[in-house]
Amino acid sequence: MPPGNEYAADQLKTQGNTHFKNGEYEAAETCYSQAIQKNSKNPLLFTNRANARLKLEKWQEVIDDCIRSIELLKENMKAFFYLAQAQIAINHPNEALSSALMAYELCTRSAQQTSNAATISALVLKCKKAKWDIRERDRIRRRHDLLADLEVKLEDAYKKEIFEIDEKVAKGDMGTVESQEEKSEIKQDWEKKVGDLRTAFALSDPEHLQKREVPDYLVDGITFEIMHDPVVTKNGRSYERATIIEHLKRSPTDPLTREPLTITELRPNIALKEACTEFMEANSGWVYDW
Amino acid sequence: MFASKRLSKELTKLHDHLPPGVELVKADDFTEWLMDIRVIDTNPLYQGEVYRLKFSFSPSYPIEAPEVVFVKDTTHPIPWHPHIYSNGIICLDLLDTSGWSPVHNVESVCVSLQSMLTSNTKKERPPGDEDFVRYNTQRPRDINFVFHDNQV
Repeated sequence: MPPGNEYAADQLKTQGNTHFKNGEYEAAETCYSQAIQKNSKNPLLFTNRANARLKLEKWQEVIDDCIRSIELLKENMKAFFYLAQAQIAINHPNEALSSALMAYELCTRSAQQTSNAATISALVLKCKKAKWDIRERDRIRRRHDLLADLEVKLEDAYKKEIFEIDEKVAKGDMGTVESQEEKSEIKQDWEKKVGDLRTAFALSDPEHLQKREVPDYLVDGITFEIMHDPVVTKNGRSYERATIIEHLKRSPTDPLTREPLTITELRPNIALKEACTEFMEANSGWVYDW
Repeated sequence: MFASKRLSKELTKLHDHLPPGVELVKADDFTEWLMDIRVIDTNPLYQGEVYRLKFSFSPSYPIEAPEVVFVKDTTHPIPWHPHIYSNGIICLDLLDTSGWSPVHNVESVCVSLQSMLTSNTKKERPPGDEDFVRYNTQRPRDINFVFHDNQV
């Protein structure tokens, strides 16, 4: 790199940041691109451009920028965070989820970046929901296909019986009055079978049977929402990591006992986390909107 | 950022169950609620009266304390209490930034205020009430109360 290029790149980056703050995302993108031409070894230039491109909804280019930034710097929370947002936008929830989880892990590992935990954990949840939505749509379609197939079979059987009666009447083996009675009986029978079949399908749908309640021990006492990454305090109470950190930054005390409590004293509650995950998986769907 | 979700859950619970002497008056949005409280014992200072509380929530509720004041109208007086100014501003550590905890909620604040009234025997205003009411332009959350008295 010719001398002075690094400096020039930094100048362009600062200009880009100003444009970004003013909401001029295209101008910001241009500045970052020029900066990258001067210095293609700075991972921050790529994440900054990715952020501008996120605003411009240039999803594929966001993904490219993030990947290049991660190549330059592995433990790159921002890059994974932007990457996840772009991946979810182009409807790749599986990839988005693993990127978001990576961002969350990097975030919790570093002491100074904890303020992003809440935002990232919301993104993780969004990815999980998107993933579940796709699976659910599939399941409903398959159910509908099966139900439709079975309904067609019942209808075929019904039509066949009617046809057989018409044949008997044509041959003179059955009287008209008798055939009418028989036909209406067959019709009733068929309608009842279709009704029973639909009821059976409706009953077998878990959505109809489950109680939509989250047990208190899985609920964060601060946000009243189900926990995803519970941490335990000295007195044995558990809270969602992102929210208790938010509280401790303002007031380093235990929310219940008011005893001094610092962020470094929090410990992950692994068993509770597993219980939360299990509950989420068993009840996904409504639980995302709860 | 948490406020609306958390408040909507609190609202569901309040519709389900309210402690005795506490009523939900108005909760049309997640910025301001009105609650009515009355004492449920026989304290003669407060018999037959109903007090109206105004809760104002910031988007950071419950990390940040709600602002809670008594409001006065024709049917709702400001209760007598050595920690309640005649303009409705309440001096209670629980509502102060340093005394607030995010595990508190609208219901627990109402119940705390109820018991603050119940245990009071003095028909008094805080010292300097007149001046405070006349000159104070600060919002309750910005006032630095000194909590010297833990008896009341």
